[in-house]
Formats: sequence, C-alpha cells, structure tokens
Amino acid sequence: MRLRIYRFDPDVDERPRMQDYDVALRHTDRMLLDVLVRLKEIDDSLSFRRSCREGVCGSDAMNINGRNGLACIQPVSELKEPVTLRPLPGFPVVRDLIVDMTQFFAHYHSIRPYVIDDRPMPERERLQSPEERERLNGLYECILCACCSAFCPSYWWNPDKFIGPAGLLQAWRFITDSRDTARAERLAYLDDVYRLYRCRTIMNCTEVCPKGLSPSHAIEQIRTALVKESS
Amino acid sequence: MRVFSGQRAWLLQRFSALAILVLLVLGAFTLAGADGSAYERWHALATSTHGSVLIVAFFVSMGLHAWIGVRDVVLDYVHPLALRLPLLAVVAFVLVAVQIRVAMILMGAS
Repeated sequence: MRLRIYRFDPDVDERPRMQDYDVALRHTDRMLLDVLVRLKEIDDSLSFRRSCREGVCGSDAMNINGRNGLACIQPVSELKEPVTLRPLPGFPVVRDLIVDMTQFFAHYHSIRPYVIDDRPMPERERLQSPEERERLNGLYECILCACCSAFCPSYWWNPDKFIGPAGLLQAWRFITDSRDTARAERLAYLDDVYRLYRCRTIMNCTEVCPKGLSPSHAIEQIRTALVKESS
Repeated sequence: MRVFSGQRAWLLQRFSALAILVLLVLGAFTLAGADGSAYERWHALATSTHGSVLIVAFFVSMGLHAWIGVRDVVLDYVHPLALRLPLLAVVAFVLVAVQIRVAMILMGAS
C-alpha cells in the first residue's frame, strides 16, 4: 500500500512536507491504524495518537484522503491509493499527525459538560422516564474526536469564538437532559452571534461523524429551543 | 445592538427573507393586473398608497436582510477590527442611502 503522509517536526523542519511510504500489507492489516502502527516500526519518527484502536477513544482522528475519520475504524480495503494522511484541518499541528486540541476542549468546557442540579439530593438516584432517557440517544455517544469541528468551515473561520459542532452537540446533550436544572442559563449562554450562530448549516459535521451522530440536528434543536423559550 | 445579535438576528434574517418573497409576489401580481405601458404601471404602483407601502416594506426587509447577511460574511472573513469596522460602516451607509433614495423617489412620484 502506498501512503503519502504529512510530516512536520517544528524542532527540525521549517515547513511541512509530504512523505511517501510503501508498505506491504499483511492479512492482519484490516484497518488503517494497523498499517500506521507497522509503519511506526519502520520509521519511528512518525508521530500520531492512538489508544483504544476500536473507535471509542477518538485519539486517532486524522484527515484520510481528504475526509476526517478515525484510522482505527477505517477499513484498508475501502481506501484509494495513494492514501493521503494529514492532520485534522484547521487545528494547530504539534507534530506530524498530532494536533493541538487545547482550544477544542476549552470550548467543550465552556458549555459546562456535566449535569447541573442544585435541588436537594434525593435519597436514591434521580430517576428518568424511558422517554426522557431516549432524548439522550444520538448525543451521549460523542467521543470528542473532533472530526466534525475540524471539518466545519465556520470553525476554521472562527475557531476561538465559535463553539463548533462537537461542543454544541454536547451542549444540547445537557440542555435536553431532564435532570439538569440549568437549561435557561445554558440557552442564554449560547444565544450569541459567535458561539452558536456562526453555524451556517453546512452539515459537514453530520456527514463526517465517524459515530454516525448529527451535530447539525442538535444545533437545530438548540435554535428551536431558543425561539420557543426566549422571553 | 442586541436586536442584531444571536437568535434575534437569525430570526430577523429568515422573516425578512419570507417578507421579501411575499412582497415580490404581491408586487408582481399588482403590476401584472394593471393597465397601460410598463412605465404607467410602475408609476401607478409608486403613487398608490398600497403600492408605496409595499415598496417601502420591500426595501426595509431587503435592507435588514442584506445587513445581517453581509455582517455575517464580514464577521467570518474580516478579523482585524481596524478593517472590519470601516467595512461595516460602508455597508451600513450604502444600505441607509438606498432607503433614503427609495423614499425620495416615492415622494417625487406622488
């Protein structure tokens, strides 16, 4: 398999370059991450993140042949050669395929990603009806891989101010949680020309999400809630 | 201004788009139903009360719609404040000038 991989070491390189590799596939090389791990044995200077190798941790998000995805769940058989690998677009590159996600997680923390409930603690757990729990499906599964935000032109234009599809999907996950008592404050925080309304409904986020989630739908739900509940 | 930020601007842009569409259709029907040459039809529209209201409503809706749209494009692409503010001022000036010009034409026609 022929690969073209983005290489950049800020300590050594003045500018990024693309490096070609030829790797003979073995029958055990099912996913792109398998190939990358073996490539690392050949060239240990190549840097990329990986951890769970089964699409749960979101560490190995990268741009694969022009489309963001997770290397660990990208079947090799579906890839067109040469396989071009780049870091997530729009994110500052730390080294090779590793990007700086500081800002991404700052946006995530800004939406207060935890249930806020200032009522007295019940004797047992706070109950949810099956319908209330159902509302969280399609939201809680987000693994924060950043494939969506890094494929969103609005996020490329205003990465410091626009929360981005991943953060907004997480925001809706807590706004719609029946146990959360901060719904009004959460909505008021998002009612801002930058935080929410930079979204142009381009829908790249939904198109590219490796978990099959729909951040654009969550964003639409937030907008609808704002219209219905704003004074 | 609060009215032009966040949700209100987003709603205003959508409602103004709807208003533009409705007013265009109304205007087209009014013109199509009138007698005389093209000039006479336009003159009749501009001098009638309902026609003037229709034209003013159309240009106000278009001005609001254009302001929010262009402002969004500027917010996306023009990041230096020193460039952004003059650019927004020029856009605002042009849009207000259009409104004034429309008012002058309507007053001159009646």
